[in-house]
Amino acid sequence: MKHYEVEILDAKTKDKLCFLDKVEPNATIGEIKSMFHKSHPQWYPARQSIRLDPKGKSLKDEDVLQHLPVGTTATFYFRDLGAQISWVTVFLTEYTGPLVIYLMFYFRVPFIYAPKYDFTTSKHWVVHLACMCHSFHYVKRLLETLFVHRFSHGTMPLRNIFKNCTYYWGFAAWMAYYINHPLYTPPIYGEQQIRLALIVFLFCQIGNFSIHVALRNLRPPGSKTRKIPYPTKNPFTWIFLLVSCPNYTYELGSWLGFTLMTQCLPVAFFTLVGFIQMTVWAKGKHRSYLKEFRDYPPLRSPILPFVL
Amino acid sequence: MFKAAHSDVAPKRKKGPGALATAYLVIYNVVMTAGWLVIAVGLVRAYLARGSYHGLYYSIEKPLKFFQTGAILEVMSRVFLTWAVTHSVREVQSEDSVLLFVTAWTVTEIIRYSFYTFSLLNHLPFLIKWARYTFFFVLYPMGVTGELLTIYAALPYVQKTGLYSVTLPNKYNFSFDYYTFLILIMISYIPLFPQLYFHMIRQRKKVLGHVEDYSKVE
Repeated sequence: MKHYEVEILDAKTKDKLCFLDKVEPNATIGEIKSMFHKSHPQWYPARQSIRLDPKGKSLKDEDVLQHLPVGTTATFYFRDLGAQISWVTVFLTEYTGPLVIYLMFYFRVPFIYAPKYDFTTSKHWVVHLACMCHSFHYVKRLLETLFVHRFSHGTMPLRNIFKNCTYYWGFAAWMAYYINHPLYTPPIYGEQQIRLALIVFLFCQIGNFSIHVALRNLRPPGSKTRKIPYPTKNPFTWIFLLVSCPNYTYELGSWLGFTLMTQCLPVAFFTLVGFIQMTVWAKGKHRSYLKEFRDYPPLRSPILPFVL
Repeated sequence: MFKAAHSDVAPKRKKGPGALATAYLVIYNVVMTAGWLVIAVGLVRAYLARGSYHGLYYSIEKPLKFFQTGAILEVMSRVFLTWAVTHSVREVQSEDSVLLFVTAWTVTEIIRYSFYTFSLLNHLPFLIKWARYTFFFVLYPMGVTGELLTIYAALPYVQKTGLYSVTLPNKYNFSFDYYTFLILIMISYIPLFPQLYFHMIRQRKKVLGHVEDYSKVE
């Protein structure tokens, strides 16, 4: 068996960082990353970006050495992605925050509202309903993170956790402050409005969960394959006929429901900002589906049927 | 606040703009230079006429508002200072601090827009370039001081009248305290101003670097 030699250069300075000899032809990039890690312990595999070209795309961990366009002495370029943190850790942190923070406002913990309201509860029943919905939403997200989602990437840059937590925790505090405020004003159309809002909210929560399960089932455990999602027997997944990322569509619907239920402007803001971000993500996902699959269904829009 | 960071993007383009774009930009910059000159002339005349600088704001109020709002590409903080603070709080208009930042902006802008005009025509007199990268040493702190003092002067009136503020209860379950918002704006100057100031110093070294070389040949 002919062995390869692998040299790893710094993508910016072109310095020789590592030389590996007697590398098996069927070695994967992932294995090469582990070997590189041994000689440079500060660069664990998750923060290594290995490329064929200093300015090119990162190679995947699954790529096999002998299938790459390299000679028997392979030259790779290395870029440090910076400190990394696992997606699971980020999701658990960013979702636990809103859950706890909202409850602090709901129970009117001291130093938020005037002292005479400490540990009192709102007299409006919609406020109790809103607390249950908000809490249910984030508990659902936590459980999905632990048991449903299959992540393509193991890690993301560390600074993302600060950015993401500021967003989720900040907005949660802002919304919770007004909904649980002693001077809160319940929805104008009363019970009718709240009932409709609750139906929309629950419908979209079930829908969102159905999509997450459908996406999980597309992917066998431990794999990172990508396939075109299709409607299943579950009616909540039939929206795949019209939309590439129905999980975002349902998420938007949930928050529209919550906005209607609480009639609170900060909730509307949160819904709007979330919608903008999800639209950006949906468009990106839609584009990669189109690029990867020749036979991608042409009727589908990224996030809103026929519209966006 | 002085957004010199944006202004450095314009002259550094490697590919020149097309003829139509250049024409538009030249006209735009000439108009902006003229506009700020009008304001400067207005200030000087009003000062000469009155013998003091009280009430100078009123003499240049109209063109100031027009040229500020017209420059949408520009610094949002400038528009904010003019409309949301100086215009909105009448009591502040007779403050000396207003004169301070208007003067600073005026001189800066005249230099800056003539800089752009000449750059676009590929005929930049060294004096303009030097002025642009040297005057800011004084004009930045002067403008920032004027702006901060003006906002500070507006605070008691904003608190008393509840200007632009929304209180609970209301049907949108939302509140906004303009007084606190202004204080937060003032605090934001602390990290932002030094960054811009040092950025301009670095730019100056890059652009005027060779001036120091001449002085060494002695």
